Amino acid sequence: MANNLEEIKKERQEWEERTLKPALKRFNLEKSPTKFYTPADVEDFDFLTKVGFPGQYPFTAGTYATYPYRPAPRRGVVQAAGLRRASMYSGYGAPEDCRDYYKEMQKRGQRSGPNLALDLATQCGYDSDNPIVRGEIGKTGVAIDTLRDFEVLFEPFQGEMNLDRIATNITINAPANILMAMYFALAEKRGIHLNKLAATPQNDILKEFIARGTYIFPPRPSMRMMRDSIVFFTKYTPRVNITSIGGYHMREAGCTREQDLAWSMAILEAYLQEGVNAGLDVDSFAPRISVNAFGGDMEFFSEVAFQRAARRMWAKILKEKFGAKNERSLLLRQSLMYAHMGYYNCTKQRPLNNLARSVVGGMASALSGGPPNCFPPYDEALGLGWSLEASQLSEDASRILQYEAKLTAVSDPLAGSYYVEHLTDEIEEAGWKELEKVESMGGIVAAIENGYIQRELAKSAYKREKEMESGDVLRVGVNCFVGESELEVEVKRSVPHPYDAARREEAEEKQIHNLAEVKRNRDNRAVTQLLKELEQKAKKEDENLIPQFTECAKAYVTEQEMCDVLREVFGEYEAATF
Amino acid sequence: MNGEKRRIRVLMAKPGLDGHDRGAKVLTLGLRDEGMETIYTGLRQSPEKITQAAIQEDADVIGLSCLSGAHKYLFPRVMELLKQKGIEDVLVVGGGIIPEEDIPFLKGKGVSEIFGPGTAIKEIADYIRANVRR
Repeated sequence: MANNLEEIKKERQEWEERTLKPALKRFNLEKSPTKFYTPADVEDFDFLTKVGFPGQYPFTAGTYATYPYRPAPRRGVVQAAGLRRASMYSGYGAPEDCRDYYKEMQKRGQRSGPNLALDLATQCGYDSDNPIVRGEIGKTGVAIDTLRDFEVLFEPFQGEMNLDRIATNITINAPANILMAMYFALAEKRGIHLNKLAATPQNDILKEFIARGTYIFPPRPSMRMMRDSIVFFTKYTPRVNITSIGGYHMREAGCTREQDLAWSMAILEAYLQEGVNAGLDVDSFAPRISVNAFGGDMEFFSEVAFQRAARRMWAKILKEKFGAKNERSLLLRQSLMYAHMGYYNCTKQRPLNNLARSVVGGMASALSGGPPNCFPPYDEALGLGWSLEASQLSEDASRILQYEAKLTAVSDPLAGSYYVEHLTDEIEEAGWKELEKVESMGGIVAAIENGYIQRELAKSAYKREKEMESGDVLRVGVNCFVGESELEVEVKRSVPHPYDAARREEAEEKQIHNLAEVKRNRDNRAVTQLLKELEQKAKKEDENLIPQFTECAKAYVTEQEMCDVLREVFGEYEAATF
Repeated sequence: MNGEKRRIRVLMAKPGLDGHDRGAKVLTLGLRDEGMETIYTGLRQSPEKITQAAIQEDADVIGLSCLSGAHKYLFPRVMELLKQKGIEDVLVVGGGIIPEEDIPFLKGKGVSEIFGPGTAIKEIADYIRANVRR
């Protein structure tokens, strides 16, 4: 750096004395409410090692050389509605209900594959007819019990939207290999070769023990399932991502920015190690690990710095710790959600304020290498599912950031800012420190088993709540600006959500009936035999279970029947209480 | 009884399969700091298990948390089971992502109050102290 740092430091002292102090006196302030950064705050800054060019190591400036932003529409040109909504996380009711929803969305312009939300029974490995899942069927997503349900659900995805033409996302985690096996079985029935399939399962089981809670088996056998995914997908389905990972769920559950970064990286390391232990070259599978979302908070500059630091850490871990040689292995590939406001920051109070908050998140995203997406729609805190009006405003806000404010015209526009570079270094350093702590315990699996992560997470969440209550963290309309002079802005959501509420109510009965019919019509002797084989294979640590799951799926063995066999062999995870 | 008032005992419970327990954990710690005895059930508790735990722990209050949309089945089911066991004096409160329009229904089933996102711990503690029935 050309600047003389000593001179800057000296000048700074003089400035503080001669200019800042009198100003503080004039405003009657004890301490300056603003900070100011200089080259002295990034002493060892070297552009090529710290930032580099977009799409080049260490990827601080961006994962790709440029982001494929949608070009501005010409005047008068109306883009088909619902194009982006198509890939929104969606699903509800029985497979029939969800199928009809996708048919409706296709009429509105959807041309991409589904991003499937599943109900909690499916995510936790229970069939819809199990009494312990009463009330949950079709609520957080669609209910899937057998291959029959996928056959129904994917009816609208034929022809130019057949399984070899679309990419399907499934948020499924613990039973990911079973649901993917159902998808493979469906493809086989349609005569589509597995190597043509593109899909991303959210198959990130480790974070389920920390946040979100849809685990089934203990961590070690869960990692065996992950090994099976890595090995099978790498060999037979090269266009299927092994999993998407990312710290967003942990942040939602209350961890700090640094914990989010460190624990996500620790999880990445655990998955990479699992593949390496299985004898794979890291470059053969690392490019197939993607990220669903990282981070999420209102603190704008910190979230920008977080995204930059995350890309840099990811690349360093792959290159320096795992010896990856393929550039593609080093890329932190995120889907739609990059920096954002943090869904947990959405307020039920004066909910339209969430739109303003989401714009802050969208700006952070656009200025840190992502799309200008303003997530989530403002009515997030009001109930399950967004109204179309809220989704429209969310989408419009992104368009305004891109086409009116032109925020996406320059990659990493904050690079070189003394403050942002300082903050990026600071966050990365804190991330490495926490990561080393987890590693010293034997890695993330051990740190989950000994309860460290869960304890620290609860502590962080409680600390945050206390900060909200003390006013150290402020939320407008929640813990400040709530007096009588404030107007309680009520928003009417007159456009109905495309999910049919009546059908959602009836979904449970319908799906129980669907399942009973499948069980009546299948070859139950074959089912018993297949499950027996599954048990034997599960007992052999080295056996990859995905081919057997696929055979089971083709014979309409239910998800829970497969999971129950594994529960017997692997045991079930019991979370420690406190 | 030696005349000294015992601490209010609260059972924080997660009925159903929902795994979002930030709120339940924060309240477990927060109500403890408010001078109450709190027990957290952990995830995936059936209404039967929750009722059983409330009896075993001699809870004065049950806090039900649900963010999965299954509250309209799960909360009334807990109330029904309490009634079956002849327990009428346990205060039951709820929280999570509960749409406004469902609140009258839940109150009709015997849930005393629903606390949504953004409620301060103190507000819940004060409500419990004012309404606890034993």
